[in-house]
Amino acid sequence: MTNRRVFVKSGAMAIFASGLSGFIPSFVARAAEAQKVKAKDKTLLCIFQRGAMDGLMAVSPFADAYLKTARPLLYMSPASTEGQLIPLNDRFGLHPALSSLAPFFNNKTMAIVHGVGSPNNTRSHFDAQDYMESGTPFNKGTSNGWLNRALSLANQPNNNQSANPFQAVSITNAIPRSLYGEQTILSVNNLQDLAIQSKGNSLTTNFAAKSLEELYDETANDLLNKTGKESFDALKLLHLKELKNYQPADGVVYPTSPLGNSLKQIAFLIKMKVGLEIAFAESGGWDTHFNQGTTNGLFARNLKDFSDGIAAFWKDIAAYQNEVTVMTMTEFGRTVHQNGTGGTDHGRASCMFVLGNDVMGGTVYNNLPILNKDNLEDGRDLPVTTDFRSVFSAVANHHLNLQTNNAVLFPGWDGAELSLMKTI
Amino acid sequence: MTKRFCLVFIGIVILGISSFAFAPTPNGKPNYKIKFPYTTLGLNKQQAAAHLLSRFSFGATPNQVNEVAAFGVEKWLEQQLSASLNDDELNEQLKAYDALSLNNADIQDKYKRADQIIKIAIEKGLINSKESIKANVDKTAYKKQLQLLLEELKLQPMAELNRQLINQKIIRAAYSNNQLKEVLVNFWFNHFNVSLTKNQSQSFVLSYERDAIRPNVLTSFDKLLIATAKHPAMLTYLDNAESVSNDNDVFNARIPSQIQKRLQRRVDALMQDSSNENKVKKIKKLANAKKQEGLNENFAREVMELHTLGVDGGFTQKDVTEIARSLTGWTISPLLANYKGIAQQKMIEKFGKDFLINKGFVFDGDFMFRADKHDSREKIILGTTFSEGGGLEEGMNVLKMLTNHPATANFICKKLAVHFVSDTPSNDLIQQMASTFMATNGNIKSILITMANHIDFWKAAISHSKVKSPFELAISVVRATNAKVQQPYQLFNWCNKMGQKIYHYQAPTGFPDQSTNWVNSGALINRMNFGLAFATQKIPGIHINWLELNHQHEPESAEQALYIYSDILLPERRSDKNISRLLPLVNYNQLENKITNAAENKVAAKVMEGDELDMENANSDHTFTWKQLQNNSANNPKMDDQKKRYSMGANPLIAQVAGIIIGSPEFQRK
Repeated sequence: MTNRRVFVKSGAMAIFASGLSGFIPSFVARAAEAQKVKAKDKTLLCIFQRGAMDGLMAVSPFADAYLKTARPLLYMSPASTEGQLIPLNDRFGLHPALSSLAPFFNNKTMAIVHGVGSPNNTRSHFDAQDYMESGTPFNKGTSNGWLNRALSLANQPNNNQSANPFQAVSITNAIPRSLYGEQTILSVNNLQDLAIQSKGNSLTTNFAAKSLEELYDETANDLLNKTGKESFDALKLLHLKELKNYQPADGVVYPTSPLGNSLKQIAFLIKMKVGLEIAFAESGGWDTHFNQGTTNGLFARNLKDFSDGIAAFWKDIAAYQNEVTVMTMTEFGRTVHQNGTGGTDHGRASCMFVLGNDVMGGTVYNNLPILNKDNLEDGRDLPVTTDFRSVFSAVANHHLNLQTNNAVLFPGWDGAELSLMKTI
Repeated sequence: MTKRFCLVFIGIVILGISSFAFAPTPNGKPNYKIKFPYTTLGLNKQQAAAHLLSRFSFGATPNQVNEVAAFGVEKWLEQQLSASLNDDELNEQLKAYDALSLNNADIQDKYKRADQIIKIAIEKGLINSKESIKANVDKTAYKKQLQLLLEELKLQPMAELNRQLINQKIIRAAYSNNQLKEVLVNFWFNHFNVSLTKNQSQSFVLSYERDAIRPNVLTSFDKLLIATAKHPAMLTYLDNAESVSNDNDVFNARIPSQIQKRLQRRVDALMQDSSNENKVKKIKKLANAKKQEGLNENFAREVMELHTLGVDGGFTQKDVTEIARSLTGWTISPLLANYKGIAQQKMIEKFGKDFLINKGFVFDGDFMFRADKHDSREKIILGTTFSEGGGLEEGMNVLKMLTNHPATANFICKKLAVHFVSDTPSNDLIQQMASTFMATNGNIKSILITMANHIDFWKAAISHSKVKSPFELAISVVRATNAKVQQPYQLFNWCNKMGQKIYHYQAPTGFPDQSTNWVNSGALINRMNFGLAFATQKIPGIHINWLELNHQHEPESAEQALYIYSDILLPERRSDKNISRLLPLVNYNQLENKITNAAENKVAAKVMEGDELDMENANSDHTFTWKQLQNNSANNPKMDDQKKRYSMGANPLIAQVAGIIIGSPEFQRK
């Protein structure tokens, strides 16, 4: 019997006792009742880099002479003045803006998978994101997203129980495609919005909140009744005051960017032990058709935000690192050749980062060919040598203990999982 | 709103239109007469009117339930099905949106994305790419430069086009007298979803709704299916515009297509050039270029799975491929020289339209059938053989065949029933609707009449069983309060927060239509906050006159306010339970004074667990709450009185009570 509901822990109880004068959210009570249920409190954090990150610049196969020829303005080497890559081995180097992630690679908690992408060769952001998020690269009609399916596998066999409102949280206004589906998803751009807000002072607001809570408690409509309860549970559990005054761990500074803010909120939820199983955040601005830059510039700034955010998050949740895995993804990569405006166009394969204590890190998993033209997809792009599903499934199955059910997770796919997670 | 309705009402009476019958359907099948069975379930006219309005409009306006009951519920539906009520006031409001009357070419010409603006500026020599790169580094400078370029080029940003599209939808839904038509535009758009999230289709969405959806929502299903399939928005959104076949001899050996010819010439030249060492590679590349053109099955799949037969409609992958072949060459007419149809433009210039039409090309508005890219061989689709050389007509026949398929009747009728009746409609209801669908070739009016005539539509279990989508919620509040919406976009932002970013649903499935999909805890809290923000006039550009709604009478007590505004906002609903829940709260400890005082003291507050109102001790009277009040008075933020009065509405208590009613579970339901 897998399970992962978390909050029946001493830490969580302490929170209730301190802040809520005896209030125990109903879902906690229910979870406690059903207590054969053993909490596993694992969280999978997915970060989607929308716009298609140039994997060849983030993790550069610098030793490949063809790369230098193909992108003279963008090429960086570990040893030259053109820009200083951080060498990972004799073939790959990290972009200097990723320096804050380098220690995790070196201590083997972070793996890089290179040459990842979709078997569908679309170069449309829209289509490629759609395929990656639904997890069905040749079928647009799939109504749910792969992370929602993962959640439903994780929740088995207790799917008909009232859901924990925090089981999956996306720090976005709308539910991302990856999380579409039947499982309860909380999507909110700012957790501080999870409060009854009203004109006037706390009295009028309390009046409104109390009234609404009573009305939802009384309503005959099951769905509104149940979700109403969950909402007010969530609201009370959340401790907005603590969120407002949230201090990350000593010395941790998140970038003041949308991604930084998202990751900070997710760290807060993890520390609150609200039972977060899947967290989702987005990072934008990767569509670098113009002036991509090298050590400095558009790409470098974005990449620094990305890596500093993840590094801050990882340090912030130091006490919880055993429970958390971070996986990044992007819809496709970019052309091997630079274009006429100092950038790169839509390509095929890119790379992804997987960070966690149960990751076999310190390796760049790849089947990258030498980048001579004949080896490129359609004569221009880094070919996809690893199906994104082989990484997604390996990470999700292992970390969330889904009992490997890839027929459900990725219908129509029977490929092999990439073995990048430690076997227990 | 009320006055207009009366005029219409009188007009109809004078004209003496009393027949419920409709003109015969195209194939002369029987008429469908509106006859509601609600009396057999013990409902009165008022209750029937309230239910009808909750499902066939975006919500009743004040007193509309009584008006419709007096007018006749069946006549009201008939009037709505004809969608011919005067909408002059609405049209006047819509004049503010100039894009609404532009054709696709003009829209393409005028509204540009940032990357397009830069490209044009470079082409026109306004900037060179280096400068654009420099500008790109500093975001504010970059934006400023874009703005300058826009002005110089007399262009508008794409965001402006999208804003107009969004605003017009909100305004029409809120104020059109032909409510059912707006409900159906919303329904059918969502069924044939396209999305602003896809760059290539973005600028076509406005004309898609206007030209492909809106005129057809009350006609027949095949009209919608064909109009959407041929529209640039759908052609780009599901990629059919790119789907081509190269196995085609429309241009015979004497006139090969330009690209093929050019490629062939280059291959030939390379073959003969013995000095070229990279020959093999170059030839390979050229061959690749040829190969990249090909069949795209996206639309073919979705047209069956999502638009017609449904996922269990009994089609195979083979059918998908065959339909895709059948629709090869269905593409967009080159609208502008700088649009990506540049090669097509050149082809038309070179050969001339007449020549091409002679070769089987079809030019129909923005739609173009490219005979030279169409796979003209025989196809077998869902067991039917289409012999070779069918051209455009073949694809049209395929779509008609899909329309007439029983699986389509079932799938579409179920979807309609889920939207209008229940998340779990009965088989009997679906079957009756589907029979009408089959008998009338998908006549939408007849199907809706069959649905509304069915006893299921009126059952108590159905009433208020659906949860409004965020958009429906937002519009229903505007209608229920006669609110004046000067900034419709604010409602878009709230819908987004509540989980429905209209026009931005990425997947071709459209927004889900079952209640469970709208109700999650983040969204629900935002629904409550929306109610409170709306009622207390915290949303900019939206004004409600609470007193006018009660004919300028100020309620004498909180209790009275509760009764009055429950009736206004939730007509014909048994709100006793709401009221009995709320009564002790409003009566608590002279709450009225407290709220009035408190409301003037602080602009916004949030409930946090630490300062919960201790209702357990509500009866033990003056406790910490008074202290809180005094504390709040002490640090009264400076706010000039007029602004305060304006922003708070006439009476903060009324707004507060109304906000709670709007945020309540009852108001979420329809």
